[in-house]
Amino acid sequence: MFTKPDSALVIAGHGSTLNPDSSAPTWKLAEEIRSRGIFGEVHCAFWKEEPSFRQVLHCVDRENVYVVPNFISEGYFTKTVIPRELGLTGNATRIGRHTVKYCEPVGSHARMTELLLKRAADIASGVPPEKTSLFIVAHGTDLNENSAAAAKREVDRITALGRYREVLSAYMEEAPLIAEWDRLSTSANVVVVPFFISDGLHSYEDIPVLLGIATESPGAASANRAAVFANNPYRLRGRTLYYASSIGTETGFAEVILDQVMAFVSSHPA
Amino acid sequence: MRDTTHELECWLRAGGKRVGQLSIAPAGNGWELRHTDDTARGDLAFFSKWEDARSLANFDDAGAFRPLKTAPSLRHGWRLVLRDAHSVRLALDYFYPAMLGVWLAHGCGEVVPVELHDTLGRQTGMYRITQKLTYEQAQRLIAKQCRSNSGCLKKILWRISASVSVPLLPPEKFRADAVPADTMPLLCHEACNFLVAAARKMVKDETPPAP
Repeated sequence: MFTKPDSALVIAGHGSTLNPDSSAPTWKLAEEIRSRGIFGEVHCAFWKEEPSFRQVLHCVDRENVYVVPNFISEGYFTKTVIPRELGLTGNATRIGRHTVKYCEPVGSHARMTELLLKRAADIASGVPPEKTSLFIVAHGTDLNENSAAAAKREVDRITALGRYREVLSAYMEEAPLIAEWDRLSTSANVVVVPFFISDGLHSYEDIPVLLGIATESPGAASANRAAVFANNPYRLRGRTLYYASSIGTETGFAEVILDQVMAFVSSHPA
Repeated sequence: MRDTTHELECWLRAGGKRVGQLSIAPAGNGWELRHTDDTARGDLAFFSKWEDARSLANFDDAGAFRPLKTAPSLRHGWRLVLRDAHSVRLALDYFYPAMLGVWLAHGCGEVVPVELHDTLGRQTGMYRITQKLTYEQAQRLIAKQCRSNSGCLKKILWRISASVSVPLLPPEKFRADAVPADTMPLLCHEACNFLVAAARKMVKDETPPAP
């Protein structure tokens, strides 16, 4: 295990003004990594909550700062928003008393494939993959967000493993639509894994409504909405449907964050 | 290297005891945090881990989510006893994210306020439209969103632009030193995303539809 007691880690997340679910995985990752004593200090920063990207460097004591975006896609937020808000000009930027080192986002890590497969296996335990269609669901509206590309990449990787009868990507607001899951797939068993960092409105409400396993219930408490994962499997449209929670809550994400820092260190020797 | 925990401990031992709606008092070898309205109450729920601060800070008395932690809506009815200043620092990261760091940086002259004009000017995507916000709209928006008794407790260090201030809020709202000696000020050196999002809504709501 590597240690960086003279460095700080900042995990950059999206956050939400509507519920605490969006930032929760990022806060938990920070607590987990802090408890391991690898870095001198660990912080979070968010686009929609505080500390903001504009504030966070004022919270950091140490000069050397690694920033890891806790985002699935390499796109608008990781290429435009975070660098702009932090004031980055390259891989390593001197800002005031800090040197900020910008790492790759978690979503581009090769281990995403393993985490998606683990989520799918956990939610449909004992169900043979060769008789199962696996959906990787992304948002897929904003082209800058690039989430469709990330989902397609994971579909290609999982397909290449040859475990599942079929592996499909589907989206909330562009074709192929997850609402048409029964028409798009051919297996008796269908597993749906949202390719999102956190459980929030999309995974608690929007996707379940599109799948047909929930009705709209705006304003419902998180605990009630989380019941959508406890009621598996769903039998509808002549199939058996298993619906998983977002992968960002997988415990393996802490290793992914640390890997992204190590990858930066390896590719940018002092 | 700055040592935030040490700076916090020095402030506490010198008599510092209030941050926003938090009251902090010595408790044995550690510190006790509670709502400033609850200092005389004896029926408070007991908590002892800094991690508990996240759930205490996340919801108001009615159970509604508090995305802006400096809103004057901190939940009542609890006390949090922590063993050392490091734990208090971590708890403050949940109660008032970034506020300890910004206050220390401000004291060292490291904080550069950013005018609202510049904050909106760098927005892209769905927030680019906020660049159409007029000075008159900005004054109304800030007067509503940032008002201390209903919006946000922070002191505003920035201006709308070099020549435009916000006359609709009291002068002390803009002075970092306008707090009692035992109080750590909550400082805003740049308009937050909540204000930018509200600016977007105002521009969209008040822009006449194209003919």
